[in-house]
Amino acid sequence: MPIIHTIGLTKRFEDVVAVDKLNLSIDEGEIFGLLGPNGAGKTTTVLMLSTVIKPTQGTAKVGNHDVRTNPDAVRKLIGICFQEPKLMWVSTPWDVLNWHAKVCGLSTSERKHRVKSMLTEVNMWEHRRKRIHGLSGGMKKRVEVAKILIQRPKIAFIDEPTSQIDVVGKHKIWDMIRELRDDGSTIILATNELYEADVLSNRVGIMHKGRMLVCDTPKKLKDSILGGDIVEVQLEKAADNHVLDELKGLEEVVEIVKIRPDDLRVHLNKVEKVVPKIVNLFLNAKLSISSIRMSEPSLDDVFVHYTGLTIEEAEKKSKTK
Amino acid sequence: MRPMRKILLVVERDLRRFIQYKFLVILRTIWFGAQVAFFGLIASRMVVPELADIYFEFYIAGVVIMMLYSSSVFIGYDIFEEAEHGVFEYLLSLPVSRRELVLGRSIGGGIRSFILVGPIIAITLAIIGWANLPNLLLAFTALFLFAFGVSGMSITIAVTLKSGDHFDIFMGVLSAFIVRLSTTMYPQAFVQDASQAYAILSQFNPVTYASDLFRWGTGIERYLTMSPMPLAALIGIVIFFFLFTLVGVTFYEKRLEGGGWQ
Ligand SMILES: Nc1ncnc2c1ncn2[C@@H]1O[C@H](COP(=O)(O)OP(=O)(O)OP(=O)(O)O)[C@@H](O)[C@H]1O
Ligand SMILES: [Mg+2]
Repeated sequence: MPIIHTIGLTKRFEDVVAVDKLNLSIDEGEIFGLLGPNGAGKTTTVLMLSTVIKPTQGTAKVGNHDVRTNPDAVRKLIGICFQEPKLMWVSTPWDVLNWHAKVCGLSTSERKHRVKSMLTEVNMWEHRRKRIHGLSGGMKKRVEVAKILIQRPKIAFIDEPTSQIDVVGKHKIWDMIRELRDDGSTIILATNELYEADVLSNRVGIMHKGRMLVCDTPKKLKDSILGGDIVEVQLEKAADNHVLDELKGLEEVVEIVKIRPDDLRVHLNKVEKVVPKIVNLFLNAKLSISSIRMSEPSLDDVFVHYTGLTIEEAEKKSKTK
Repeated sequence: MRPMRKILLVVERDLRRFIQYKFLVILRTIWFGAQVAFFGLIASRMVVPELADIYFEFYIAGVVIMMLYSSSVFIGYDIFEEAEHGVFEYLLSLPVSRRELVLGRSIGGGIRSFILVGPIIAITLAIIGWANLPNLLLAFTALFLFAFGVSGMSITIAVTLKSGDHFDIFMGVLSAFIVRLSTTMYPQAFVQDASQAYAILSQFNPVTYASDLFRWGTGIERYLTMSPMPLAALIGIVIFFFLFTLVGVTFYEKRLEGGGWQ
């Protein structure tokens, strides 16, 4: 029995279809990674599921309650960590978190304990009395993340939790998100960061232009589209089509992804046999290889495969839109 | 959690925010001082000498209502600030119903203006005295409802217009109508003298109700207000409060989604 279930969930903003007939099931206790390029509709989906905005069409059941007909019941189960921190500049981190804990119904002793421990965990304890407008971008984000960690809702929507956060902070937050899941929360993690989705999620879904392209465990997704092995070849200059055709002609090669004209990622089988062939092929074509290495497929490859875009292209596209 | 507790938490939040507007409190107090010391004292000279003292009292009672009105309107500006910071979406995601949210905010906005105007009410009462305790308590209850109602009205207008600039202009115009076409600053008899239409309009004005009730509580109504029986005013205030608190809920919910804030 899924804890979240959407039925043709759609949101239109004037002429933009932000979310397009989304059908999605999320199981209790999992971390579900919602991936997609800018403007894919991740945040809009999260806002509809958390009853902040109403769907134009379709609906969703969250914890067995319909977001349209019974939003009050949904709001009792959920918590949301917004992509843009929603904090008033006149308040302090401590005020924001303390009030949040109260309104989410924590007992006095629990509230005091959790506010203090979470402020400490996200490294904001010493800044707790500063005005929000005096905090850096990453600090505001830490306060926003702390909200949901204090609330510990049954269903947590977490939108880009680590954008703007430094590397040490990122790992810390990832650990805390995992702990939240281990305590029994279901987590919907919207993110642009494929690595983040990969290390945290039990399953991921890739959205593009409001639609869900594909949805499975990161491992299955990686296995589904590619030859098992990957060879990355960096050349000193761009490879022409003739060479690429020749490369494609090798029977072990499954797919070639052009990251840049001089940077190729080749998905293939039987890596130990094929690497010498690849090296020879480039040497014959008078193309010097500046580096060559073998790697595991990543979610980047899955993303590129399904959206038909490289990450860079995807970002460029959504900017020109 | 019980609904009452949630409403109180929403109230608490607005009060906390308000305490941070120290500058505003200082400005308002200076404004009141200037109204009384300049306008009140000078304008009373224009009244026939035997009524000058009474007009002065009448006038400061009116200024209290004007202050209560303009401080209750203030919550609308908070809404824009919140829309700008996206805090709205946050409030909408909390385990608090829309009804509790609007009710809490109207009440919070009303209490805030009472805190702001409270010392001035005390000064006014010290100057003009009061009729008797039951009258005064009833008058206070009515003023509370008035302040909540004006806050609810301000919230409703803010979420309807969704533009800070438009709101600012609209509220300026509205206050010109609603305050001037009331008995805040002049007795009903004079409004009637000026125009029958004015008199009728001023009888359907919450600012008139609040002014009459406050004066009734202070005991000065027996000199200057037409209606000695405040029941109509009391009913008017109650209707005003319910109208804007309930209408506010509906609008708040309908207008919030989809953004479009300027
Ligand atoms: N309030 C709004 N009014 C109008 N259009 C909107 C609104 N919110 C989102 N959109 C549009 O809906 C589409 C999806 O936006 P959304 O914020 O859901 O994307 P996202 O996947 O979260 O992107 P990002 O990775 O940049 O956070 C975009 O085209 C955006 O311009
Ligand atoms: Mg987003």
